[in-house]
Amino acid sequence: MTEMFSTLFGQNEAQGPPGSSSLGFGPGKAPPPIPQNQVSMAGQMPPQLVDEGPALRKSGATNEHFYLLRELPVGNELTGNTNLITHYNLEHAYNKFCGKKVKEKLSNFLPELPGMIDCPGTQDGSSLRSLIDKPPVCGNSFSPLTGASLTGFRLHTGPLPEQYRLMHIQPPKKKSKHKHKHHRPQDPLPQETPSDTDPKKKKKKRDDDPDRKKKKKDKKKKKNRHSPDHPGLAGSQPSSNSLR
Amino acid sequence: MAEKFDNLEEHLEKFIENIRQLGIIVSDFQPSSQAVLNQKLNFMISGLQDIDKCQKQLHDINVPLEVFEYIDQGRNPQLYTKECLERALARNEQVKGKIDTMTKFKSLLISELSKVFPEEMAKYKEKRGEDGPS
Repeated sequence: MTEMFSTLFGQNEAQGPPGSSSLGFGPGKAPPPIPQNQVSMAGQMPPQLVDEGPALRKSGATNEHFYLLRELPVGNELTGNTNLITHYNLEHAYNKFCGKKVKEKLSNFLPELPGMIDCPGTQDGSSLRSLIDKPPVCGNSFSPLTGASLTGFRLHTGPLPEQYRLMHIQPPKKKSKHKHKHHRPQDPLPQETPSDTDPKKKKKKRDDDPDRKKKKKDKKKKKNRHSPDHPGLAGSQPSSNSLR
Repeated sequence: MAEKFDNLEEHLEKFIENIRQLGIIVSDFQPSSQAVLNQKLNFMISGLQDIDKCQKQLHDINVPLEVFEYIDQGRNPQLYTKECLERALARNEQVKGKIDTMTKFKSLLISELSKVFPEEMAKYKEKRGEDGPS
């Protein structure tokens, strides 16, 4: 074993104690002769390294006892021993996000955003990853459309085909405390046609139905009071006016 | 810092609202809506201009890419923040445990070595006392 090391690293045989050749770390200068008082130290080997680091560059008196003693690394005040959440004043954020239950869906984070935003972006090609992989052409200035360019936006009248009617399918909007909610548009808009707002229309119908029923009942009562067919006045035939 | 986000947020909301109205107009188009459509299209372009102007204020803002993955999956991006904080705390505790264990091991080792090699350990402690706190 000793012979293998010496052949590998080219150590001379006559270098210090016999055991030293087994620790040949590389081509280096011949070690200095060991003083007699150091021979008695058990387990101590003379240094043979060419570049041993700052500890062993010190005077021999300090390193004579501990061969591989190195300087301690520069202490870092901030270690894992410190609670880093407290150190960086993130307690409030931690309690906010980890103390309460955070809802899973994107629509809970952006309740005012129209459309189906909880679906994966890869399904309809609206993923942010695709925007990063294929960034759009930028750098051109934004200029308003002139009359000539607006001719391309002359549309045919009538409703959209079924396959393109996606925008109005929205998740039910929840009440939010968002401060910008109040600036809903005041622009004159063409009224939404019944064909596009079926769920809204159904809601409206449901809302109106009890009101309508009440109004109908009131009307019935009024008519029955004042009609000649009222059982209280005369006649035995039932009133057929209620179906109006 | 919150102000520049508020500004961008406001512009984005107006833009999105404009687009929504455009969609409503287009979904069942009438000839009388052409003028409004043209107006909305120009609002859209001015909205893009406003959003483009906001980027100068936000050039130093960095967003982790992992947040985009959450959004693409339709998940709340606050979950990313939550998971980051939880991972940081768990790792903090793990490292603290390692430091505590190593500190205990060191003190045990020194005490045991001092029993076996009292003179050498005295010199070692003296040496370390010169270098700094061990």
